[in-house]
Amino acid sequence: MKPDANDKPAAGKHPLTSDLLLLPDGRILVHNLTPAFAGLLKELNPDDEQIRLRSLPSTEHPT
Amino acid sequence: MISIVQERRSPTRREKLGVQSRDVRDCSKGTLKRELQRAGPEAGVPRSTLARERAAAARAALADCRLCAHECGVNRLVGEAGLCHAGAEARIFMAQAEVSDELELIPTFAIALSGCDLRCDFCITGGPSWNPRAGEPVPLEILAGQARAALADGARTIMILGGEPTIHLPAALEIVAALPDDAKLVWKTNAHGSALARELLDGMFDIWLADFKFGNDACAQRLAKVPDYVRVVRENLLWANEHSELMVRHLLMPGHVDCCWQPVAEWLAAELPAVKVNLRSGFWPAWHSARHSDLRRTVSNSESAQAWRIARNCGLNLVE
Repeated sequence: MKPDANDKPAAGKHPLTSDLLLLPDGRILVHNLTPAFAGLLKELNPDDEQIRLRSLPSTEHPT
Repeated sequence: MISIVQERRSPTRREKLGVQSRDVRDCSKGTLKRELQRAGPEAGVPRSTLARERAAAARAALADCRLCAHECGVNRLVGEAGLCHAGAEARIFMAQAEVSDELELIPTFAIALSGCDLRCDFCITGGPSWNPRAGEPVPLEILAGQARAALADGARTIMILGGEPTIHLPAALEIVAALPDDAKLVWKTNAHGSALARELLDGMFDIWLADFKFGNDACAQRLAKVPDYVRVVRENLLWANEHSELMVRHLLMPGHVDCCWQPVAEWLAAELPAVKVNLRSGFWPAWHSARHSDLRRTVSNSESAQAWRIARNCGLNLVE
């Protein structure tokens, strides 16, 4: 179906995007990680240090 | 395990600008040299003001485009296209807060411009990176508003990336001009810019986050279709280290520990020993990776371990 011009997102209104790749050995590769998606991944695997560091509130991010 | 893929001023800075302006005169038309000199760093002049003037100079430079090291010399203002296929107007394919970059930079508000001067077959954003017509025209005021909101919400930095932002210097500088003068700005680049691009970028960004992808020209030519890669990247990294804070990234590729990572690590240890280096092992066989038998898989645990050994042996200043 041909998209209607009104279906296009307004300027600057991009949907947030994160990509992930699940590997057979259980590893998960993530690209363009948004804070919201980092929070989700932390819930799935609270022990992962990489994600824990990236899901902290913005005021608590390490320097 | 979850893996994340992905100031100082030289005392002779003005003298260097004077020397480099010969390059500008030689490779550009019209009044670019004069415009650039007028837009040169001035003590106390706000970054946004300089950026606005530089943006005008950069737009004029599109008439004989030599912003990247390919130096095609096409007139992008009249629709001619060089190797990047970019026109005169930039487009963006993504603008959002992210936490996948180096820990000291996140959260960052990332603005990704479509199009690139390299043709890395493994590019994680190959579609919009190879197509400068992807995305939408740069909504300058909206972007600036989003960036301000992100900063108010706790973002530490604003990052301009691509694709490769160097090919869209006019738009990138216009974005800088629209941002708060005290915002910490990150220039995420493939380090394949020209002397002209460096001159236009001087003093605009707090941090250069630069890729050093290949350790030799043969791999660069085969996987990214770029000649003379190593010399150009080294030149850009040395310059960036003198003119801003520099962080170097290397994405470890399967089968390229010895040919690419080792020489990159050794050169960084010898020439830029204090520079922060991020070794990334989350390669994923994206885009046209399948065209190359060596890139059809992820990095093995043993390759990753070998790469970290090399990094430690070189004494690199590693960051996450």
